[in-house]
Amino acid sequence: MGVLLLDIVTTAAILFAVASGLMIILGVMKLINFAHGAFLTIGGYAAFATTQLGWNPWLAIPFAALVGFILGLIVERVIVRPLYARPLDAILATWGLGIIIGQVITIVFGRQVQFVQSPISGAIEFLGYSYSTYRLILVALAALLAVALTALFYFTRFGLNARAVIMNEDLARGLGIDSTRVRLITFGLGAALASMAGALITPLISVDPNLGLPWLINSFMLVLVSGISIPSLIVASLILGGAQVVVSTYVSAILGGLTIVVLAAVILRIRPQGLFSG
Amino acid sequence: MSGEAAALAISGLTSGYGEAIVVRGINVTVAPGEIVALLGKNGMGKSTLLKTVMGFLPAREGKVLLHGGDVTKFPPHRIARQAIAYTPQEQAIFQDLSVGDNLSIGQPEAKWFDEELERVGEVFPFLKERLSQRAGTLSGGEQKMLLIARALMARPKLMLVDEITEGLQPSIIERLAKALLAERGRTGVAMLLVEQNVRFALEVADRWAVVKLGEIDDEGSSDTKNAAERIANHLSV
Repeated sequence: MGVLLLDIVTTAAILFAVASGLMIILGVMKLINFAHGAFLTIGGYAAFATTQLGWNPWLAIPFAALVGFILGLIVERVIVRPLYARPLDAILATWGLGIIIGQVITIVFGRQVQFVQSPISGAIEFLGYSYSTYRLILVALAALLAVALTALFYFTRFGLNARAVIMNEDLARGLGIDSTRVRLITFGLGAALASMAGALITPLISVDPNLGLPWLINSFMLVLVSGISIPSLIVASLILGGAQVVVSTYVSAILGGLTIVVLAAVILRIRPQGLFSG
Repeated sequence: MSGEAAALAISGLTSGYGEAIVVRGINVTVAPGEIVALLGKNGMGKSTLLKTVMGFLPAREGKVLLHGGDVTKFPPHRIARQAIAYTPQEQAIFQDLSVGDNLSIGQPEAKWFDEELERVGEVFPFLKERLSQRAGTLSGGEQKMLLIARALMARPKLMLVDEITEGLQPSIIERLAKALLAERGRTGVAMLLVEQNVRFALEVADRWAVVKLGEIDDEGSSDTKNAAERIANHLSV
């Protein structure tokens, strides 16, 4: 029972970290970034590169975030910004971008599965159970991420400007807020978070050019269910991640992999506005 | 051009939405420290004029000069940063942000915020006690006072005020008129008011102009004897 609870909490932590970047881009830019999965993959390969270069495995996390941030800034400027007035085309463009990134990664690193060195291995005693040290550290990192994002959006000028843009972009612009810059930074941040999450999960899973795809789908479902709110995303991650762990443990791992999508579809059928809004 | 540049000089401005031309070659000049009221019925292009000045709509013809500098092609945020406080008629405050956050967006410089808040708090004392309240929970009149307070916080040299009196009771309209006149007296801010309330407009403004079908139809000084009558005539036809 205790191990099951730890599995639920650590799974929720991973889901939260993976979905947060998608959520902030959707919130500020009203854009579903279908390249989110590709940015996760980029993060995975950034971690792989860290291993190949013989760097300290912990460096994979900031390195992936940096790579994601820079690529995110470029993508916003070159691909997303010209399509502001055409939101549907912008979404399709991110989808296409995701495919291109996958192909480029295949060309550079090959199609085969790669492995990343884990920064820490083994298990420790936690609440009387022997549990994976790395998964426990992930929970701490996800909590830190939630606190940092909350602080960014609620206690900084950038956060206030971003929330103003979320609520009423024209009004914000008329008051001197450069919403184009807010969008640029937000997209960079969302890509950095995705990429960082990709680096965080690679010690648990192998790296291949399609690493991000299942995570993209789960993130998308989580954000639809939670709406644009950090606490709601934490709760949604616990509920849907919890269901996934329970089904995987007691029914089958294959059905477990489908749980989030199916359960989210059921929730959205009953409450189309999501669990927490309206 | 002689002497000090006008706070706002709109010349031959034409704009609209899609195929529809709403503002047709309008000329309006507001001198530093001057208050000008634009009156007219709904749909005559008054609000469209302000939106074009702010850069939300492109000018098809004509120019907008702020303190002598051409801003006709500037995006809204760059215009707003030239000491312009624009208060739109609708959706003018962030309902889901606190009163304090709304004011803080008006004055982003942290070092000036407290000072400006102190001063605006003297004009509208309720604001200081309710900084953490959600702005959307304020009454209609309080929201309009918050809107003017946010504009005053910005230390503006020019205010563009779109129908601030709409739906307000006379006592609050009177308070807003006093606040605007006091601010002009203190800082010499220029204002362009779009109004339907003739009494308020003539009380606050030095000059008035009636906009009809996107053009200036009549104009004059507020102390002209029959100003109210002339304007009322235009608005009734």
